[in-house]
Amino acid sequence: MARAAAVLRRRWQETYIDYSLIFIIMFLVAFGLIMLYSTSAYEANLDFGDSAYYFKHQLFPTLLGLVVMIAASYFPYKVLARFAMPIYIFAAALLVLIIPFGKTINGAKRWIVIMGISIQPAEVAKVATVVFTATMIVRLKKNLVTPKGFGTALLFPTILAGMVYIITRNLSSAIIIMGITMLMLFVSTPGYKLYVLAASGVLGFAALLVFIISNSKQTSGMNFRFERVLAWLDPAAYASGKGFQTLQALYAIGSGGIFGKGLGESMQKMGFIPEAQNDMIFSIICEELGLFGAIAVMLMFILLIWRLMVIANNAPDMFSALLVIGVMGHIAIQVVLNIAVVTNTIPNTGITLPFISYGGSAVIIQLAEIGIALNVARNIGRE
Amino acid sequence: MKQNKKPNSQRFTIGMKKKLVVLFTLVLLAFVGLGVRLILITKNNGEEYEKQVLSQQKYDSTALPFRRGEILDSNGTILAYSEKVYNVILDAKLLLRDEKFLEPTLKALVTEFKLDGSSIRSYLADHPTSQYYVLAKKLSYDEIKHFQDMITPGEKDYDSNIQGIWFESSYIRKYPNGSLASDIIGFTSGDNAGMYGLEEYYNDTLSGTMGREYGYLDEDSNLERTTIPATDGDSIVTTIDGNLQSIVEKHLQEFNDQYANNVRQANGANNVGCIMMDIHTGDILAMASYPGYDLNNPRDPSRLIGMPAVDEKGNKLKGDSIFDSGVYITEEMLESFSDEQLYQNYNALWKNFCIADTYEPGSVAKPFTVAMGLECGAITGNEVYNCKGNLEVGGWKIKCHNVYGDGAVSVQRGIEISCNVAMMHIAQAIGISTFTKFQKDFGFGLKTNIDLAGEARTEGLTYSPSNMTPTDLATNSFGQGFNVDMIEMITSFSSLINGGYYFEPHIVKRIVSSSGATVKNVEPRILRQTISPSTSEKIIEYCNTVVTGPGGTGKTARPAGYMIGGKTGTAQTLPRGNRQYVVSFMGYAPASDPDIAIYVVVDRCNYVMQDDAKFATRIVRAVLTEALPYLNYPMTEELSDKEKAELEELRAQMVTSQTAPGEEAAAEGESTESSEEASEEASDAPVAEEKPSIWESFEVDKATGYYIDPNTGGLIDPDSGYAFGGDELPDFSGDSASQSDSAAGSG
Repeated sequence: MARAAAVLRRRWQETYIDYSLIFIIMFLVAFGLIMLYSTSAYEANLDFGDSAYYFKHQLFPTLLGLVVMIAASYFPYKVLARFAMPIYIFAAALLVLIIPFGKTINGAKRWIVIMGISIQPAEVAKVATVVFTATMIVRLKKNLVTPKGFGTALLFPTILAGMVYIITRNLSSAIIIMGITMLMLFVSTPGYKLYVLAASGVLGFAALLVFIISNSKQTSGMNFRFERVLAWLDPAAYASGKGFQTLQALYAIGSGGIFGKGLGESMQKMGFIPEAQNDMIFSIICEELGLFGAIAVMLMFILLIWRLMVIANNAPDMFSALLVIGVMGHIAIQVVLNIAVVTNTIPNTGITLPFISYGGSAVIIQLAEIGIALNVARNIGRE
Repeated sequence: MKQNKKPNSQRFTIGMKKKLVVLFTLVLLAFVGLGVRLILITKNNGEEYEKQVLSQQKYDSTALPFRRGEILDSNGTILAYSEKVYNVILDAKLLLRDEKFLEPTLKALVTEFKLDGSSIRSYLADHPTSQYYVLAKKLSYDEIKHFQDMITPGEKDYDSNIQGIWFESSYIRKYPNGSLASDIIGFTSGDNAGMYGLEEYYNDTLSGTMGREYGYLDEDSNLERTTIPATDGDSIVTTIDGNLQSIVEKHLQEFNDQYANNVRQANGANNVGCIMMDIHTGDILAMASYPGYDLNNPRDPSRLIGMPAVDEKGNKLKGDSIFDSGVYITEEMLESFSDEQLYQNYNALWKNFCIADTYEPGSVAKPFTVAMGLECGAITGNEVYNCKGNLEVGGWKIKCHNVYGDGAVSVQRGIEISCNVAMMHIAQAIGISTFTKFQKDFGFGLKTNIDLAGEARTEGLTYSPSNMTPTDLATNSFGQGFNVDMIEMITSFSSLINGGYYFEPHIVKRIVSSSGATVKNVEPRILRQTISPSTSEKIIEYCNTVVTGPGGTGKTARPAGYMIGGKTGTAQTLPRGNRQYVVSFMGYAPASDPDIAIYVVVDRCNYVMQDDAKFATRIVRAVLTEALPYLNYPMTEELSDKEKAELEELRAQMVTSQTAPGEEAAAEGESTESSEEASEEASDAPVAEEKPSIWESFEVDKATGYYIDPNTGGLIDPDSGYAFGGDELPDFSGDSASQSDSAAGSG
C-alpha cells in the first residue's frame, strides 16, 4: 500500500504544473499581441500597406516561443549547469559575429540574420548570463563570500555586458545583464551592507554625472546620451529633439485619464510617438486603457514576479532556485526600467516591455526563460 | 543520479529565502512608486496634456482633399466632375539652405509659371523662415507637368538644385455642358459644399472623406511625412437623358428668343418650365426652366437681365400698375444693386422653378376633378350639363371661358373644351369632404420628396374640409384658388394615366462608388393608388379629345406624325383682374398607351394677351416633335405635306450636327410654324363645329384671325370661343357681387 501511495504521489509530483504562472503568461502574451496590433496598425498601414504587418511578424515568434517554452519545461535543466561555459561562449560568439555580419535596423547595428531570421544576440546574452551566473555561484560555494570569489562571479557577466555595449552600442542591454548578475549575487550572499553601499555609490555617481551634465550645457562635445539626460531633466526644452518621444509619451499617458480613450482610439500612435510598438507601447496602453488598464498590467507583472519568487523559494536545489531568480530579475528589471522610461522617471534608454513590446528574439528568449521556471516548478518537492 | 548529487548538496538556505523576499519587496516598492508616478502625471498634467495632444493633431497634420463624385446622365454622359488642380507652394526655409539652390529655382519658376522673379526675391528677403507661401493657384496638371519632372529624381529634366517648391493639390468642379440642366445639377461653393439641385441634395453622397498628411519629427529631429489617402466621393447616375434635356432647353430658349422684349424689356416670360417624366417609374427624363445659368460661372450678372427683380424674401417686386407683371432687371439696375440685392436675385436665378415655385394650376386640374367624380361614384361619365356661360355659386357669379355658354356639355366635352360650368357641377356632386380627401391623395399640398434641394412646401396652399366654402369648391374644380408646383402636378398626373399608381418622382437611379461598383440602386417606389385602372382609362380617353376633338383646346400641341393627349390650362393670378396669366399644357404620349408625360408652364408671357395656352402647347409640340422620334416611337399618324417639309428641315439640321441634336443653334422657322398653325386652325373650324356658335357671327380680326367680341372689344378664339382677357373669376377679395360683375366686364 505504501509503495502504491508513493507511486501515486510521484505521479502527482511528475504532473505538477504551475497553472497560475501559465495563465499569467498566456494573458500577457495575448494582451501584448492585441496592444501591438492596436499600436502599430496605423504606421504598418502607411509603411507596408498592411495594417497587420507588425502583428503578423510578432505572431510567429510568439507561437515559436510557446513551443520553446514547453520544450524548456521538459528539458532536464540540470544539464544546463554542465553546458554553462559553452552557452556563455556561444552568446559571446554571436555578439562578435555582429561585427562582420551585423544587420542595421533603424540606424543601430544590433541584429544578425541566420536563414532569413534576424536575431538580437543581446537577448541571447541575457539568458546566457542567467545560466552562467547560476552555475558560477553553485560552483564557487563558500568561496563566493571572499572578494576573489565574488570578483570571479562578477567578471564573466561584466565581460559580456562590455561586449554588448561596445559592439552594439546598446547600453540598456548591458545594464540589464549587470542588473541580473547583481540581483542573483544579492540573493546568494549574506549581508546587506555591501549592496547598500554599492547602490548608494551608483546613485551618487549618477547624480553627480547628471549634475555635471546639467551645468555644462554649453559644451559642444556632448555625446547623444548626455543630450538624453538633458532631455530627461526638461523634456519640453528638447521637444523637437531628444525629448520628443518622451514628451509625446507623457502626453499619451496624461491624455488617457482614468479609463482611457478606448482600445484602438489612441491619437498619439498616429505618427507622434515613432515606433510606438517598441519601447513606448506602455504609453499607448495608458492612453487607450487609462490608469485602470496600466495598473492592471502592472499587477499582472507583480503576480508573475510573485509566482517566480514562490517557485524559487520552493526550488529543489540551489541551482534551480538561482535560475528562477535570474529569470525573475530579468523580467523585473525590464518592466521597472521600461515603465520608468515611459513616465520619464529615468532618462530614455531603449528597454522593451517583456511579452508586450514588438521584438521576435526577445519574446522567444523570455518565453524560454519562463519554460525553465516551469521546469523548476515541475520538480518542486522532488529529491 | 551521480550528476545530480553535486548540485543537490547545496541547498537554498533560509537566509537566501529571506533575501529573495527582500528583493521581491524592493521590486514591489518600485512598482508602487511607478504607479504613483502614473497617477500623478494623469492627475496633475492630464488636462494640459490632453489639450496638447489635440492641438498638435491640428498643427502637424494637413488635410488632403477628396475627389467629389461625378454626376452622370442616364446614358453615362458626364454632367459634372471634379478636376485636380495644384497650388504652387514655396518653402523659403528649405530653399535658402544653400546659396546654389536660389538661382536655378527662381529661373525654373519664372519660365514655367510666368511668375515675377523679383517679387519672390523680395518675399524671400523679408520671410527667410517662412515654410508656406502660395505662389500660384489652381494650375492644371498640364501646366505643372514639366516642373514636376524637374523636381522628380530620375526624370530627364531633373535638377537637384531646384528646392523648396512643392505642390498642394485640390479639386475644382467642372460642368462640361455649361448651362445644361443647370436647375437640376446645381453647383458647388469654393469649399466643396453643394448649392441647389443634386449637388446640394446629394452633397453627403458626392463628398468623400478627407485624407490626412501627418508631419512628425523622428528621433534625429528630421521632419517625416506620412499620409492616409483621401476616400473619393460616390458618383450619381441620374434618370435625366442629356439629349432630351437639351431638346427641352433648346425650345425654351427658342420660346424666349421669340417673345423676349416684346411688350416689356424682359425675358419671354417671367418663368417657363418643362418637365418630362416616365410615368411607369417616376423617373424624371428632363427638367428645365428658363432662364438657366452657366454652372461653371453661376455668378454671371448678365443672366439676371430680363428677370423680374425680387426683394429680400425672394418675392417679386410689384410694378407701379397692377397690370405690370413685375419690375425687370436692366443693366442700369444691375449697377445700382447692392451686394445683398444682387445675391437675392442670384438666388431667384439659381432656384429651380419646376419644384420651387407655386402657382394656381388652372384648367389642367380638370382631369383631376373628373377622376375624383368617377372614382367616388358621384358621376358615371354619362352626365350632360347645361353651360350657360356662368354658374352662380355662393352668391358669386363664376364665368365659363366662353361667356355665351356652350349649351349641353358632356363630361368628356367638359374636358375637351375645358368647360368650367361642367366642372363646378361635378365638384358639387363630389362634395367638399371627398374633394379635399382626393386632393390629398393626389398629393396636392404635400411635398413629392423628389431628390432635389429646394422643393417648395405646399402645405397650407390647399383647402381643408373645415375651411372650404362651396365657392372655393367651385373654383378648385377648374384649378383656381389653390396652389401647386410643377413637380406635384406632373407626378400626380402620371398616376391618372398609368392606371392610378402614384410613384415617388426621382432623379437619381444609381449611386456608384469611385471604383465603379454600384453602391445603391434606386428602384421605382409606388406610394399609393390614387384611382382605379378603369377610371384611368376614361381619363386617357377624355384627355385624348383635347388634342383630337373638334373643339379641343390642345390641338396645337400635337407633334407631326404622332397622337398625344393632355390638357391645357390658363390660370388667372392674384390679384384678380391684373391681366396676368399662367398658361400650361400637361400631356402624355403616345395617346393610345401613354409612356411619358410632359408638362410645360409659361408664367406671364411677355405678350399683350398672356392668356393663350398656345404659348405652352407650341413648346410641347416642338419638344415632342424631336423627342418622340429620338425615343424610337413609331409614327402613327399620316403626315401632311407641311409636316413633311417641317420634319425634313429638322432632319437637315440634325444631320449637320449629328452628335448632339440639342446643342445646335436655335434656328427653326418659328414664324412660319405659327402661321401654319393659324391657317390649320382656320380650316378645321368650320368642319368641326356641330352647331354654329354665337361668336362665329362676329367680325374677324384680320391681323390675328380671331373673332372680335362687339360687347367688349376683346378677341375670341375661333376654335373654342375662348375670350382672351376675359377672366372667369370675380375678385373674391372684394365684398360685393356688383364688383364682381364689373371685374368680369373688364375682360
